[in-house]
Amino acid sequence: MPIHDQSYRHYGGRREPQGRAWIVIALAGIRNIIRKRLFIGLLLMAWVPFVVYAVQFYLAATIPQASAFLAPTAERFRSFFEWQGLFVFFITVWVGAGLIANDRRANALQIYLSKPLARSEYVAGKLMILVSFLLLVTWVPGMLLLVLQVAFAGNFTFVRTNPFVIPAITLYSFLQVLVASFTMLALSSLSKSGRYVAILYAAAVLFSHAVFGVVSLVTRSTSLSWLSFLANLSQVGDVVFRLRPHYATPWPVSVLAIIVLIAVSILILERRVRGVEVVR
Amino acid sequence: MTAAPIVESTQLSKWYGQVSGLNDVSVKVPGGVTGLLGPNGAGKSTFMKLMTGQLKPSKGTIRVLGEPIWGNPDIFFRIGFCPEQDAFYDRMTGLEWLTALVRLNGLSEKEADAAARRALEVVDLTEAAGKRIGGYSKGMRQRVKLAQAIIHDPELLVLDEPLGGMDPIGRRKTIRLIREWGREGKSLIVSSHILHEIESMTSNILLIHNGRILAEGNVHQIRDLIDEHPHTVHVRAASPRALARLFLAYDDVLSLKLEEDAVMVQTARPDEFYTRLTALVASGEAGEIHEVTSPDDNLQAVFHYLVK
Amino acid sequence: MADSASNGRTVRRGPSFLTASARVFDLSIGQMLWSRRTIFLALVVGAPVALAILFRVLDIMGFAGMRVGSRTIQGPTIFGIFIWMLYLRFIVPVLGVFYGTSLIADEVEDRTVTYLFTRPIRRGAVLVGKYLAYLVATALVVLPSVMLVYFAVVPIGGGGLAGTFPALLTDLAMLGLGLAAYGSLFAWIGAQLKRPLVIGLIFAFGWEQIVMLIPGYLRRFTIAYYLQGLVPHAMPQDSTVSFLQSVLRDVPPAWTCLVWLAVIWAGFLLLAARVVERKEYVLEQ
Repeated sequence: MPIHDQSYRHYGGRREPQGRAWIVIALAGIRNIIRKRLFIGLLLMAWVPFVVYAVQFYLAATIPQASAFLAPTAERFRSFFEWQGLFVFFITVWVGAGLIANDRRANALQIYLSKPLARSEYVAGKLMILVSFLLLVTWVPGMLLLVLQVAFAGNFTFVRTNPFVIPAITLYSFLQVLVASFTMLALSSLSKSGRYVAILYAAAVLFSHAVFGVVSLVTRSTSLSWLSFLANLSQVGDVVFRLRPHYATPWPVSVLAIIVLIAVSILILERRVRGVEVVR
Repeated sequence: MTAAPIVESTQLSKWYGQVSGLNDVSVKVPGGVTGLLGPNGAGKSTFMKLMTGQLKPSKGTIRVLGEPIWGNPDIFFRIGFCPEQDAFYDRMTGLEWLTALVRLNGLSEKEADAAARRALEVVDLTEAAGKRIGGYSKGMRQRVKLAQAIIHDPELLVLDEPLGGMDPIGRRKTIRLIREWGREGKSLIVSSHILHEIESMTSNILLIHNGRILAEGNVHQIRDLIDEHPHTVHVRAASPRALARLFLAYDDVLSLKLEEDAVMVQTARPDEFYTRLTALVASGEAGEIHEVTSPDDNLQAVFHYLVK
Repeated sequence: MADSASNGRTVRRGPSFLTASARVFDLSIGQMLWSRRTIFLALVVGAPVALAILFRVLDIMGFAGMRVGSRTIQGPTIFGIFIWMLYLRFIVPVLGVFYGTSLIADEVEDRTVTYLFTRPIRRGAVLVGKYLAYLVATALVVLPSVMLVYFAVVPIGGGGLAGTFPALLTDLAMLGLGLAAYGSLFAWIGAQLKRPLVIGLIFAFGWEQIVMLIPGYLRRFTIAYYLQGLVPHAMPQDSTVSFLQSVLRDVPPAWTCLVWLAVIWAGFLLLAARVVERKEYVLEQ
C-alpha cells in the first residue's frame, strides 16, 4: 500500500523462552555495581591474599629452603579461605544490602512482579548478582592458586597426593558463598533501608561470633560453636579440607545449622518477595 | 524608583556532572507573585534549590532579598520554602513537627506552639493537628508542608509544585491562599508545569525550558512580543460569511477559517483589528456579533510558541 | 535569637550554635529512640543481658559447665569477658558506625534534610544536634545494659559487688568515651564519604583488628588502642587473633588515652560539622 501505517507496531521478533528473565536481572545488577570505582578497588584488594599465597607457592617451588615452611598443603589452602572470609563479608555487605531493600524502597517489586516474571526468577536473579562477585573472590582465586601451584611446581604431585583439594575448594567456596548470599538476601527483603540491612547482617555475623566467644570462654568449651555463623562455616571448612576441627561441636551439627539458616532465609524470601504488601 | 528584585541571578549555571540543570540564567524576579513555569526537567526545581541555598551554583551568582544565599542561614528568617518532595518525620504529629521546626527559628516552646497552631489553622489542618503525619492523606501532607513554610511569617515564599497531589477543592483553596498572601504583601515564587494553575495565581511568569529562561514578565506582554506568531481572534456571529467578506478587505488579516457560526481570524496587528471590529459592530455593518475571544492570548499559547 | 539594626533594617540573627544544636537534639532524640532501629538496638544490648542472666541462673542451678574442676569461673572475670568481647569489640563500634554514619545521610536519604537546612541555623549545628541525640540515645541504652550485666554476673563464684564497683564505673566511663569517639569519627566519615557504612565497618572490623596485630605506631591510628588502654580487665584470649593481640599489646598510660580520645572526639566532630557546612546534598528525585 502507498501510505504506511505510522502508529504503534507490536513486537514481532524473537522472544527468549520463559524462565530466563533472571539472567537479565543478574546482568543488569552486575553492570550497575561494577560501575563504581570504589567497589573495583575492594575487589582488587580481595585478590591481595591470592598474590601473597601465589608468591609463597612460587618461592616454595623455586627455593628449596623455602619449601620447608612455604610448601603447599591443605591447611595453607584452608587458611587462604579464612582470609577471603573477610572480603566475603565486606563484599556481601556492599553488594547485597540494597539488592531487595532498594527495590522495596522504590516500590519496584510491584513493577517487577507485574511482568511475566516468577518470584523465584526475581530472587534467582538477585542471588546471582551476589554469588557472582563472591565466587570471584573465593572459588576463582582458590582454583587459580591451585593451577599456579601446579604451574610453578611443574608437576601434579600436590594434586595427586591431595585429590580432595579440588572438590574441597569448590565445596567450601560454594558453601561460603551460598550461606552469605541467602542470609543477606533474606535480610535485604526485610527492610527498605540498605544501611539497616547492612548493620543487621554485620550483627548476625559478628555478634553471633562474639556471643559464642563469651560462652566458650565462660564454659571453657567450644561445643556451642553452632551459635556462631562464622564458627559453623569454619567447622565445615576444616572437615572438608580434612583438618582437625577447631571446635568441639560435631560437624553434622554445624552442617545442620547451616542448612537451617539457608532454609529460614528461603522461607523469609518466600514470605517477603511479593507484589502486594498488606499495610496494617 | 523600582523596588529591588527579590531574586537576582547573574549568569547562573548548575551542572550535575555532565548534565546541565540550569544554563546561564540572568534574571531579576520582582516582588509579588511570580509563576515559574516549565515542563518536567526544565530546571524549575534546580532554580528553586539554588534560590533556597540547597545547591551551590556551578557558575554565576544568585542573590535573594539582596543577600547571598549560600552559607547565610540568617536569611531563612525571611524565606519560607515548600519543597516538592513528599518527605516527613512520619511518626510526629503535624503540631509536633511544626513546633519543632519553628523552634529552630529561635522561638520559645510556648511561642512555637502558638505559631504552629496558627499555621495549621491557615491551611485548614487544625483538626488533624494531633494526628501523626504518617496517617495524613496526600493533600494533608501537602498542606502541612505549606504550613512549615509560612509558620514564621516570611517575606518570601518559594513553593515548588505546591498543588501536587491535591484534589480539586484543595487546589482551589491553596490557590486562594497564594493570592491572599500576595495581596498581603508577601512575595511568592510558585513553580508548576500545569499552565492553568499558574494562570489562576498570577499573570507574572518566568518561563523556563532546558535550563534556560525563555521569557519573563506579564503573560500578555510576552504574547504581544511574540510577533512572528499572528494573533488568533475567534468571532461568533449571526452571519459569519458576511463578516469574513468584510475582514478580507484588510491587509493585516492573514488568514480566515469559517466555522458553522463563527469565523477564526489570524491578524498580524491585533490592536488595529479590534478597533476596526468595534467600529463594524457599532455601525451594524457586521450584523449581530455574539462573542469575541482570543484563544492564544494565554499562557498555553505563549508556552507552546516559545517552547516549540 | 538576637536582633541587631543595620542600615535602618533590622537584621535578625538565628539562635546561637549551641542553642540550635540543642533544638535539633530535641527534634532528633525522639526519632532515634522510637524508630524501628530501636529494635536492633534493643536486641544488640539486650542479648548480653539475657546471656548474663542465663549464666547466673546456670550458676545457681549448679550447672557443671560453669565450673573448671571444682572451681567456678569468677564473676568479675566473666564481666571482664563481656566488656571486652561484646561491648568494646562489637557493640560500641557497631553503634558508632550505624548511627554515626547516618546522622546526615538518613535525613538526605529520607529527603527531610531540606526542612533543617532552610531554617536560620548553621548546618554544623544540625550535625552536632543529631550527634548529641545519638550519644544520649546510645548511652541511655548501652550503659544500663552494662550495669545489668554487672549485677547479674559479678556475684557468680562468690564475687563481691563492692570491691568491683570502681571497675564498673571505669567501664561505664570508658564505654561512654568509646561511643563518643567512634560516633564522631563515623559522623565525619558519613558526612564526607560515599558508602560510609561499608567504610566504617572496614575500619572497625578490618583495619582496627589487623593493625592491633602489628607492633609499632600504626595502632595509634585506631580508637581501639586508646580505649583498650582504659579497660580495667585482663584481655581474654578466645582465638589466635586475640592471643596475638594480647601478646603484642602495649598499654599506653591512662592520661594519654584520655587526651587522645578527647582529641579524636573533638577533632572529628569539628571536621564533620565543617564538611556539612560546605557540602551540597543533592537529593534523589
